[in-house]
Amino acid sequence: MARVKKSEPILRLENVSYRYKDAAKDDYVFKDISYSFEPGKIYAIKGKSGSGKTTLLSLISGLETKYEGKIYFRDKDLSKVKLDKYRNSNIGIVFQSYNLLVHLTANENIMLSMNINGMKEKNKKEYVNQLLESVGLTKEHAKRRVLKLSGGEQQRVAIARSLSYHPDMIIADEPTGNLDQETENDIMHIFSDLAHKENKCVIIVTHSNNVAKQVDEVFELKGTKKGL
Amino acid sequence: MYILKNAFISIIRNKGRNILIGIIIMVISASCAVTLAIRSSADKIVSAYEKKYPIEVTIGMNRENLTKSFRENNTSQEEMIESFNEIEPITIEDVEKYGDSNYVSNYYYTYSVSLNGKDLTEATDSLVKETTKTEVETNTRTETFGTPPTGGRGDKFPGNWGSKSTTEKKTTTTTTENIRNERASRGVFTLTGYNSYDAMNDFINGNYTITDGEVNSNFEDNYCVISEELATLNEIKVGDKITLVSPSDEDITYELEVTGIYKENTDEASDMRNMFSSSANNIITNVNVVKNIVAKDEDANATVNPTYVLKSKDNIDAFEQEVKDKDLNEYYMLSNNLDIVNNATKSIISVKNFATTFLIITLIIGAVVLLVITMINIRERKYEIGVLRTIGMRKSLVSCQFMFELLAVCIVALLIGAGIGGLSSVKISNSLLASEIENAKSDMEAINQNFGGNMMHDNRDMQKFDIVNIETVNSIDAVVDFQVLGKLLLIGVGLTLVGSISAMIAISRFSPLDILKERS
Repeated sequence: MARVKKSEPILRLENVSYRYKDAAKDDYVFKDISYSFEPGKIYAIKGKSGSGKTTLLSLISGLETKYEGKIYFRDKDLSKVKLDKYRNSNIGIVFQSYNLLVHLTANENIMLSMNINGMKEKNKKEYVNQLLESVGLTKEHAKRRVLKLSGGEQQRVAIARSLSYHPDMIIADEPTGNLDQETENDIMHIFSDLAHKENKCVIIVTHSNNVAKQVDEVFELKGTKKGL
Repeated sequence: MYILKNAFISIIRNKGRNILIGIIIMVISASCAVTLAIRSSADKIVSAYEKKYPIEVTIGMNRENLTKSFRENNTSQEEMIESFNEIEPITIEDVEKYGDSNYVSNYYYTYSVSLNGKDLTEATDSLVKETTKTEVETNTRTETFGTPPTGGRGDKFPGNWGSKSTTEKKTTTTTTENIRNERASRGVFTLTGYNSYDAMNDFINGNYTITDGEVNSNFEDNYCVISEELATLNEIKVGDKITLVSPSDEDITYELEVTGIYKENTDEASDMRNMFSSSANNIITNVNVVKNIVAKDEDANATVNPTYVLKSKDNIDAFEQEVKDKDLNEYYMLSNNLDIVNNATKSIISVKNFATTFLIITLIIGAVVLLVITMINIRERKYEIGVLRTIGMRKSLVSCQFMFELLAVCIVALLIGAGIGGLSSVKISNSLLASEIENAKSDMEAINQNFGGNMMHDNRDMQKFDIVNIETVNSIDAVVDFQVLGKLLLIGVGLTLVGSISAMIAISRFSPLDILKERS
């Protein structure tokens, strides 16, 4: 996939509104959000509980498809894109609870993502080790089942997994929510590098002011009122 | 490929869950193996029975039709006899015409003709009895109505009784000669020709047993087998030749070599009131000999009795219709032995039906249990499904992976279950089969003895074994054979499909977002 220029938006939201299936007609979680996300930048989506931060992230990541308005990924309407392919190629998702497959090792979790993507890497094992190294894990970590890793280590594995197939955009939902301050800083450092050195668009949903301080732009959700 | 690898890793790393599923499938599989093995054994027994008692159709007089026709037309007794004699007999050409059918696997027939013998005394007790009876009657009559003897020779030999008696005896002799002449005009010996061993029902059923020599396997040349009575009466031994004469022309003679001597085992034969058995004057030969006799002697009164062996019992009606379409006279009818065959296999078929019912119940219960287990399994693995779907794995591939896992567990469990089922079913099936084998073996030996000669070591006569082929019933150790394994595999695939389809439906209904939210 060709890299986009830094200034061109990679993701655009146009009048995006969302309400739950069983909600009243005008009871929107958020309404008419329009915003653009560019590569090479790190974004934070902030807001109170229930403001729809995670929901918006679900919309962006293609996990939720019933919304009003339009979301464009590289000028392609997300509602017309194959979302499985979108999720296994164009975006990498990192969750607060890591969402790794617990019966697999760190290495196998990453390999599985690469296999789902259909990557034809010659030496996959070596590549995975390099990837883990880039997020601060060793070969020893790679061989362990994920449940035998600490929370921080698991989150690093989740980040490595999301990077394994070279996506253009990283979406992270409270990635440091379960981690201590030091580890949070380490993780944010990785994200920062991904955005600024590797020209990726990183979108982070967070409550943490510490995280918000380290991003390029903050997008605050204010319930049903219009956002930025 | 990675799907398979992932499925394999998942099986290995989730042993407890898969062992539980495996045990359930194993129990189902073992139950199925037992029932399938019983069904298979029952099929073998039924098949052996059907080989032993193939569906046979014979052609005979339709006396009911005949009587009805006579009654409707108020036919007199003379007319009845005349009409009866006018009914065209079945010819060999007819037999062959009817036998040329897609429904017939084999057919055979007996061809009989009546002949007299040259220097050959018939075995008959009816004449002797008749003579004796006449003498008794004469004595009685003399005593009752005759003048009482007086003086002279008559004192020593009471009255004229003796001379009177002589006169009466003369009359008797005349009667005896008349009977003998009448019999001789028809032929006192019945020469019955068979076209194969299969046709020789009296030997197969054990009515006749060879006591010396054998039934010659050559169904072409002039060989014959005679009764013990005839052999004793005429001092004939195996290897001797007998000469038969046409009843209509004494110049037409036929010479046959005796290859065997038989005795009749029926109750009729042991009836002490008769000196000779009913078959005493029955000379057994091959069809070819009778054909030659009929060809030489136009007046020979020959009769054909065909038996058609059908390929299947389902062909009975169709074959009957076909024979009728080939212009079988309305006064003939077809009879079959379906009732006998059905009776013989009835109990085995009941066992088979029971096994089938048990199999169906096992499969239904198994499928339901597997369905429930799969659903529980899917619910337990919801998180895994959510993660896989979130990282972009297609629903179909997730389903495939789950199906592969279930299939692999299923196959291993099936094989173990088949082994366990096989081992336990051998005993059950063997006990079912053992008595049948024993019966079949003794039947075979008895039939061999009936035909005479050492069949067990005579390859030339191996065809006689075909009469009761129990080869398949002998192989009782092959109860869980490839056929059963194949069926089990099908059942396994079926169960896997049931499980997989339910898994697929569940997977397609899961939203990864909801799963992950639930998890959070």
